[in-house]
Amino acid sequence: MLQVRDGAGEMLGVLFERYHAPLYNFYAKLTGDRALSEDLVQEVFLRILRHRQTFRDGTPFRAWIYQIARNARIDHFRKSRPQVPFEPEMAPAVAPGDPAQQQQESELLHRAMMELPEEKRELLVLCRFQELPYEDVARLVGCGVATVKVRIHRAMQELRQIFHQLQAAPASSAQRAAAQNFPPRRMT
Amino acid sequence: MKCEEIAELLPDYLQQGLQGERKNIVERHLESCVECREVAGLWKQLALIPDEQPSPAGRARFDAMLQAYQAGQGSGVVTRRTTDKGTSIWSVFQWLRSPVGAVAWSIALVALGTYLGLQLGGAKSNSQDLAAMHTELTSMRQMVALSMLQQQSASQRLEGVTWTRREEHLDPQVLSALMHTLRYDQSVDVRLAALDALSRHAGQPQVKKTVLDALQEQQSPLMQVALIDQLVEWRDAEAAPGLEKLRKLPNLNPTVRQRADWAISKLN
Ligand SMILES: [Zn+2]
Repeated sequence: MLQVRDGAGEMLGVLFERYHAPLYNFYAKLTGDRALSEDLVQEVFLRILRHRQTFRDGTPFRAWIYQIARNARIDHFRKSRPQVPFEPEMAPAVAPGDPAQQQQESELLHRAMMELPEEKRELLVLCRFQELPYEDVARLVGCGVATVKVRIHRAMQELRQIFHQLQAAPASSAQRAAAQNFPPRRMT
Repeated sequence: MKCEEIAELLPDYLQQGLQGERKNIVERHLESCVECREVAGLWKQLALIPDEQPSPAGRARFDAMLQAYQAGQGSGVVTRRTTDKGTSIWSVFQWLRSPVGAVAWSIALVALGTYLGLQLGGAKSNSQDLAAMHTELTSMRQMVALSMLQQQSASQRLEGVTWTRREEHLDPQVLSALMHTLRYDQSVDVRLAALDALSRHAGQPQVKKTVLDALQEQQSPLMQVALIDQLVEWRDAEAAPGLEKLRKLPNLNPTVRQRADWAISKLN
């Protein structure tokens, strides 16, 4: 990371290799919008390029990059409020060869994720999909580790409830998520 | 043991952070409690939602961005357009590279460092620093856009146009580069994209006039129709004489002439 700060463009290329897919997934799982996710990933690398001088040794690099990623997304939604009700465009990706039932459950779970309030969804994406340790997530969202664990627990409880509702009425709309989710708030 | 007590242990258990007796406690509870078992099951199932693959276009965009950034740093391409007076982005950048500017720059970086430090530390953000960061990023993006508009490959120039679309307010240099692109770019796709980008800046001086001029210059029917539609959308009454002039051209494509007639009737 030192090299990035000291201004080597190639190093940014290495970072791109390492982080662009995880960052893309962070955004994709959070927003359900592929084009927007691509845009935001570009924005993150532009910000890294621009603000590499602000990186301080001793800070976990991953936390720094996700901090930038969160802020880029928050700034995006602050600038352009979505006018249409939120509907995840993304068909849940499912690994090939899944038995039909498992595929169906995976799809339901994906939809349940998208119906979670933004803050809870973000927490699950960071902890479960990005596999950040609770300590890093705590620093990222600016609270204690114990609080993160409590929030994870609540998020999982709510996910379970939504999942059950969807199982009972699979046709129910995802639009309910819209009202709760936007715009996301900047957590300090 | 009750669910509430397990709640404190469960998140660690899910991240495989428990060992020994504490792990046993959770596992015993899971055997007897449906709800917590479901939570643990869903946590596992979440991993079955596979990752999305970013498109290869993302890498191309990144490469183009990096290239444009480095070109901008090297001051080669961008300085061609320093005819505008006043504080352009580029003169600011040049100033930052001067000794006095360098001092100011390092002060700004300390401020940014502090800002980020505060962010990471979880303290409240300072809105002034935040505003400074926004301004800086905006000019940064516009510099990249400006540089990209002048690249060799059409796809990079197209990307440059896309960058400008993110900004509500364009620097005069970027605006004039876009107008230049609209008139003279070799690729019709890039010209069309530039028109689209300019359509949001009708209030800026020269934009409407440039579109009117382009109407007389452009040979591609696709472009002509797009320009006509734009003028109608702006309800630009001054466009009528230009449209009359266009429709009288002997070799004009019939579709374009029809469109011009329709536009004239709309504007009158
Ligand atoms: Zn329980």
